[in-house]
Amino acid sequence: MPRDILYSIKNLNVEYKTRAGAVRAVDNVSMDVFRGEILGLVGESGCGKSTLGKALMRLHTGPAKITGGELWFDGQDLMTLSDREMADIRGADIGMIFQDPMTSLNPVQRIVDHLVETIQTHEAGTSDKEAEARAEELVEHLGIRRERLSEYPHQMSGGMRQRVMISLALALNSKLVIADEPTTSLDVIVEYQFLDLLHKLRDEFGLTIILITHNIGVVAEIADRLAVMYAGKLVELGDCFGCFGSPKHPYTQGLLKAVPNIKLDGEELYKMTGEPPNLLRPPKGCRFHPRCPQVMDICRTQEPPFEHVEGTDQMTACWLYQEVAAGQEKNHA
Amino acid sequence: MATNKKEFPTPEEELAPWEQDLGQVGILRSALRARKWYGADWWFVAISMVMVAVFLIIAFFPAPFAPYGPNEIVGSSFLAPGETPPVPVLIIPQDSMVETLEDLAVPADSDRPSIAVEQGLPTSTALREQAQAIDDLLKDNPEGLRLRPRIERFNLLEDTLQAVVDGEVQAAVVQSTDFKVVSSQFPTLRQAESIMGDTATAGNFLLGTNDIGQDVFSRLIWGAQVALLIGFSSSIVALVLGVPLGLIAAFVGGALDRYLSLLMDSLYAFPGLILAIAITAILGPSVFNIIVAIAVVYIPTYYRIVRGQTFSVKEEIYVEAARSIGARRLEILRRYIFPNVIPSVAIIFSVNVADAILTGAGLSFLGLGLPPTIADWGIDLARGQRFIQTAWWLITFPGFAIMLVVLAFTLMGEGLMEIFNPKLRER
Repeated sequence: MPRDILYSIKNLNVEYKTRAGAVRAVDNVSMDVFRGEILGLVGESGCGKSTLGKALMRLHTGPAKITGGELWFDGQDLMTLSDREMADIRGADIGMIFQDPMTSLNPVQRIVDHLVETIQTHEAGTSDKEAEARAEELVEHLGIRRERLSEYPHQMSGGMRQRVMISLALALNSKLVIADEPTTSLDVIVEYQFLDLLHKLRDEFGLTIILITHNIGVVAEIADRLAVMYAGKLVELGDCFGCFGSPKHPYTQGLLKAVPNIKLDGEELYKMTGEPPNLLRPPKGCRFHPRCPQVMDICRTQEPPFEHVEGTDQMTACWLYQEVAAGQEKNHA
Repeated sequence: MATNKKEFPTPEEELAPWEQDLGQVGILRSALRARKWYGADWWFVAISMVMVAVFLIIAFFPAPFAPYGPNEIVGSSFLAPGETPPVPVLIIPQDSMVETLEDLAVPADSDRPSIAVEQGLPTSTALREQAQAIDDLLKDNPEGLRLRPRIERFNLLEDTLQAVVDGEVQAAVVQSTDFKVVSSQFPTLRQAESIMGDTATAGNFLLGTNDIGQDVFSRLIWGAQVALLIGFSSSIVALVLGVPLGLIAAFVGGALDRYLSLLMDSLYAFPGLILAIAITAILGPSVFNIIVAIAVVYIPTYYRIVRGQTFSVKEEIYVEAARSIGARRLEILRRYIFPNVIPSVAIIFSVNVADAILTGAGLSFLGLGLPPTIADWGIDLARGQRFIQTAWWLITFPGFAIMLVVLAFTLMGEGLMEIFNPKLRER
């Protein structure tokens, strides 16, 4: 069944300019985000997942730059918009929640001022009273007492601040919320409550959420689909059920095996050998080949295409599922 | 159950709302509630605030505090603090009716009175001048009274006084301090009024007098005005120029930042006082030029601090978060970066006021500041420095005044930062 596409990323490239050369942190990534889904984006530190998240809002400054690709959001290409038009979309249509709630609120501004500012930035005519009333309603919905709105960020706990961040994203009924490791600095109980809240909000507001995390357990908990990144490349994409049930890419397989498991029963936990490649000089061919347990000759020389695996709706970038490779392997044997 | 509840009251029941949250009360109450301020106990800051308040009151309303005008010559020079100046006084027999010099006036045709003085002392000059002055006033006297005393000179103090005892003269004029020493030898004599009138007898200057007989205390009081004017105006000018430049340079970055920083660093490379000297030397000495000179010296201080802070605040996640809600660049600068940068500016400002007062005093000290007719601590220091061995009070008190004001501003600045910065406020 065809699903409604909210955000379509086409051949996105993001580069960091460094003295040693350009680092391509997001390399030719293409994927679609469906309306109303929770998409989990996982990968190791430095694999480009946060860079991708920021690129979706064109939030990069300084050394990082989007060097190619198209970002189709709700029928318009964000890459063609002016900075001013882009600022109008940020906050109103796309919201973002950052990793560390301790530092993502302005320490010298009261909570209510954050919300009022968000509302008034996009709806210039709103009076302070109206905006405050809306803010109160919103935070009560998220489980924060309205009296606490007049507090400063340092007077709130991490979980509360993270809820404030959500309320900022929801203040104008954003269609898409990009949550960049929102639970990393929360303890497990607050994390659970927070994920629960995200799930509820998705159902209630028809929100689309891109959840960026390195915790694959979090994705398993609430996401509908899973996207796995490795060294700036998308290596696997599919619905959670399929991906967790039968992961296709060896990297995904390794990730899942490395998750501590109650059924492990004294066995040693799986360890992936090697370390993530230096993106300044990525390995030739498949970027995972130096660490891949099932490496083939073709992997060392040619990059695998990102394609559907036959018989499933999962997509992966691995020669194992390509007929050319299978044939070559046979010849080799 | 009811008793239990009493024993464990919830905070809401026990405390007034403002006591639970200092963020909701005004500055005054939060200042009172704050137990500790930056680096010091609260009373430390309170004392500095009182000192600053006293300084401000004195600077704005010097007249009620200063006994004399800033340039008034009120007594003999080099009087030590509390010292009574010696005045020429009239010495007369115990039973004499004479009380003042004027009482010695007689009709023009009768015998002129004779007055004894000790030779070679300022008393004889004082007597002559004073008698002349009184005589001038008596010119139109209807009774024809004139005061033209014969002045008898003696070599010794004792001889001078003995002449009065012997009745050779009607009175003697000697220094009051001298008479005090020998008065026991002459029980039949008594001291009448000073021949100088009231001003000279007022005496007793709290902090002494300077080389030309001005009251040191009064000049200190009047000098507060100039110190405040120079300290505040130059710091405000430097702040108003330096802070926006630093903000914009760091926020915009690129070539603008490079050139501005180059300019500011070259200014900063000069020793402050030397640069100020150069500027006042070019512009000429006046209060306005001194303010300009000192302001130029301190602009780079603000610029550098604000630029550095802006660079670090700019990278904070909350600034990125602000962009993610679609805030405009100007809005980010105004609501996110500026308020987070300003606490460090407040600190520099208070230290800067103190510093500017010092630099202003330094300029005056070097003779590049204000004309000496203006009461200024720096000028007083410069003038007193020549007499450092004989009159310690000339430089000690202006020096203390500068030190106290500088200390008060520094402490208060740090205390105020504590109150205004919600991040550092202790609950």
